[in-house]
Amino acid sequence: MEDKKVLIVGGGPDGVRAALEKAEDGAMVTILEKFPTLGAERIPRDRLIKPDEAFANPDLDKVRNHSDIKILTYSDLKKVTRENGTVHANILKRSLRIDNTKCNDCKACIKVCPVNMFDDFDEAFSFRTAVDYCNSETSEYNIYKEDMPVCQQACPVNLDIRTYVGLIADGKYLDSLATIRDRLPLPGSIGRVCPHPCETACNRQYLDEAISICFLKRYVADVEINEEIEPVYETPEKKHPEKIAIIGAGPAGLTCAYDLARIGYKHIKIFEALPVPGGYLWVGIPEYRLPKKLLQREVDLISNMGIDIQYNTRIGKDISFEDLKNDYDAVFIGAGCHRGLKLRVPGEDEYEGKGIVDCVTFLRDQALGNPMEAKGKLIVIGGGNAAIDSARVGWRMGFDEVYILYRRTKKEMPANPWEIDAAEHEGVIIQYLAAPVEILGKNGRVSGMKCIKMELGESDESGRRRPVPIEGSEYTIDAETIVPAISQGTDLEFLGEDHGFDINRWNTFEIDEETGATNVPGVFAGGDVVTGPGIAIGAIAAGKKAATGIHKYLRSK
Amino acid sequence: MIYEKEKRYIIPFDDVPSDRAEMPEITVDERRRNFVEVETGFPEEVAVAEAKRCLSCRRCLGCALCWAECKPEAINFDIPDEELDLDFAEIVLTKGQDNSFHPFNSELGYGSYADVITDLQFERMLSPTGPTDGLVVSPLDGEIATRIAIVQGNTDEDETHLLSSLVLGVNESILALDKTEDLEVVLVSPVCQAFKEKFLSDSEKIGGLKIVDGVPESVEKGQKEEPLKVTFSEDGQSKKENFDLVVVLTKPKVSPEIASLSKKLKQEIM
Repeated sequence: MEDKKVLIVGGGPDGVRAALEKAEDGAMVTILEKFPTLGAERIPRDRLIKPDEAFANPDLDKVRNHSDIKILTYSDLKKVTRENGTVHANILKRSLRIDNTKCNDCKACIKVCPVNMFDDFDEAFSFRTAVDYCNSETSEYNIYKEDMPVCQQACPVNLDIRTYVGLIADGKYLDSLATIRDRLPLPGSIGRVCPHPCETACNRQYLDEAISICFLKRYVADVEINEEIEPVYETPEKKHPEKIAIIGAGPAGLTCAYDLARIGYKHIKIFEALPVPGGYLWVGIPEYRLPKKLLQREVDLISNMGIDIQYNTRIGKDISFEDLKNDYDAVFIGAGCHRGLKLRVPGEDEYEGKGIVDCVTFLRDQALGNPMEAKGKLIVIGGGNAAIDSARVGWRMGFDEVYILYRRTKKEMPANPWEIDAAEHEGVIIQYLAAPVEILGKNGRVSGMKCIKMELGESDESGRRRPVPIEGSEYTIDAETIVPAISQGTDLEFLGEDHGFDINRWNTFEIDEETGATNVPGVFAGGDVVTGPGIAIGAIAAGKKAATGIHKYLRSK
Repeated sequence: MIYEKEKRYIIPFDDVPSDRAEMPEITVDERRRNFVEVETGFPEEVAVAEAKRCLSCRRCLGCALCWAECKPEAINFDIPDEELDLDFAEIVLTKGQDNSFHPFNSELGYGSYADVITDLQFERMLSPTGPTDGLVVSPLDGEIATRIAIVQGNTDEDETHLLSSLVLGVNESILALDKTEDLEVVLVSPVCQAFKEKFLSDSEKIGGLKIVDGVPESVEKGQKEEPLKVTFSEDGQSKKENFDLVVVLTKPKVSPEIASLSKKLKQEIM
C-alpha cells in the first residue's frame, strides 16, 4: 500500500510539530508555508524551557532532515477542493530568483538593493532589502516580490492604484483614468462613495497618513468632464452571438455587462425594475454624495457600447424568470438588497405608511423625486451608512430635528466614521446606547417613540459587546416620522416557486466562488444578492467575476 | 531632517506634503434644504501633491542592480514560479506564521509609546538572528533594559489562553534574564489554576523574575525620556511601578485566509 499523503498548511511551530507527528506515523508529509522560511524558531507557548536549552525549536532540524517530509516554502495554496475523501491542491511555488547552489553568500546584492522596507519577519523592528536571507541556518536567499502592493491587494477589483496614482503625479490625468477604467467602469461614482479598503491598507499610514486614493480617482474622472471629453468605450470587432440577460442595472450588473461587451458579446440586455439606472448608487446613495447627472453619464458610456437597458421592467412581474432563462443563453442576477428590515417592535405594523417608513423606501422615494412630507421631527434607527444617509437626507428635506438612535456606542458604529462626523457636523442628534421599544401613535399616525437606554455587556461572537437594556430607563421622543435603517435584505420572490436555486439562511444565493455560477446551469449571481448589504466596489468585483464565469460557460458549451 | 513616527522613518521632500490632502466642502449653511454635492473635489495642485505622497510600494523593483553586482551569477530573474497540482489523503490546517493578534486594552500604551511592544516583537528581539542580535534593548533609545514588565493583554480570556501566554511570558523572561545582567522582570497576569499546578513552583526558582497574580490596568508616561509607569492590581490593591520596557502578551488571531479555508473544508484549525 502506498503511504498516506498529508498536506500541512502553515509552517509555524504548530505546523512543524504536526508534520513530525504525521511523519512518525508513517505518512508522506508536505508542509506548505507562504513565507520563504519555516517559522518554527518561535518560542514554544506550551512548554516551559530551561535556561540552558537551545533557543531554536529542535523540531526544525528534524523536519528539514526527515526523508518523508517535503517542505514547500514561499508557496501559496491557490485552490483546494475535497472530493471523495481526496484533497486536490493547486499550489503556486514562487521563484526564489536566486540559484542558491551558485550563491557564495557575499551579500553584495543586499548592499546595492535600493529597496528599504519594513521587515515583517522582525515584526517591523528593522528594515530589509528586497533581497533577503532571513534564514541564517540555510542562508537561502530570495528576492521578494509580491503579486501586488497592499492597496491593490485590498481593493476588491484589484485596481492598479500604484500606476494610476503615479500617472497623476506625472500630470497624465487621462492616462490615469484609462488605467482605472481598465478594471472599473464607474470611476467618478466610486471615486465619491467608496469606503476605500485600499486606504485602510496603505503603507503610508505608518509614516504619517494614508494616501487619499479614492478622491484621486474622483479627480481624474472630473478632469475628463471639465475638459468636456466624451470617451468611447471600445468593443472588439469579433463578436460572440450568445444572448445574455442581466437582472438589475446596479454596480454588479453594469460591470458584468461592461466586461462582457469588452470580451465581444453584443446581445446584452439589462432589465431594471426602477425607472433609473445605478441600483443603490441612484436610489440609496444621496445626491449630495453622488450627483445623479454624473452617475447617468457613466451609465450612458456603458450603454453606448451597445448594451440595452430596459427600465421599469420587474422580473417576476413583467417577465417571468422562467421565460427569461429560456430566452437567453446566460443570466446574471444582480438584484441587490432593496428590502428594509423591520424593527419588530409594537406599533410598527399598525403605523406602517402612516409615519413609519423603512430606509430603503425613504431614500428611494426622495431620489426618485417624490419625497415624503418633511414635517416635525424625524427619528432614524440604526448605525450603518444607510442610517446616516437617511438622517442627512432628512435634514436636507427640512425636518425640524433629526435623531439617530443607535444601540451601541460611536466606536462600534458600522457606518464610515467620516460620514458619522459629517452628520453630527450638520446638526443630526445621535443618541448612542438607545433602542426602540414601541412606536406610539395618535389619530392613526405616528406621534413618537418609546425608547430605552442600553449599556454594553458581554462580547458576542463577532467580538462586539452586546447591548443590554437598562431596566426602568424608558423615555419618549416625540416624532412625526420614524425610519428604521437596521439592515437590508434580498427580495427573491421574482424567482417564482420551485425555482431550484440553492438559497442560504440569509436568503441570498449560494454561488461558486471562482465563477459566480449558481447551482442552476447558465445562471450567475453577484453583488448584494449574494453577500447581503455590502459595498459598491465589492458588487463590481462580483460583476467582473461573473462576466469571466459567463464567458467561460458559454465558450465551453 | 528625517522624521519619525512610532519608530519608523521617512525622508520628507519639499514637494511632498506629509499631511493627507483634505477634501474641500461647502459650508453647513449651504447644505440645508438642498442636495448640492458636499465635497467639491481637489484642485489640480492638491491632487498632484497628494499623488506624489504615494510610496509606490513594492517589493523587488526589478532594477537589476543586484544582478549586475552578483559575481557568481546566481541571480536569475527568469527562474519561473512553479505550479503544482497535488493530491492528498488528509489536510491539516494550522495558524501558520501570521502575526496578527486580537485587540487588547488600549490603556496599555501599545502604539502610543515605542517602548511598549508585543510578545511577538519581544521574541524577535530575543532571537540571536533577530533585529538586535538578541540584546534586550528599548526600541525608544537603544539602551539595555534593566526593568521589564510583561503584562497580559487579554485578561478576560479562558484558562487555555492564560496558560499558554503565561508560559510564553515565563519563557521570554528566562531568555531575557539569561542574556542581561541585573535584569528584573515583573510578569503581571491572572495566574490560572493550570499554571499554579504545573509550573508555578519551577518558575518561582528563576532569579530576577517576579510573577504577580493580578491585572494590568494602564501604562502611562510623562515626557518621552521618562520611564513607563505601569498601574496594576495585586491582591485587590492598585500599584504603580516604573519600567524601561513593557511587553504585552497578545492573543493570536487566525488569518482570514486560513479561516475561510477552514470554513470551506469544514475542518477545524489545529
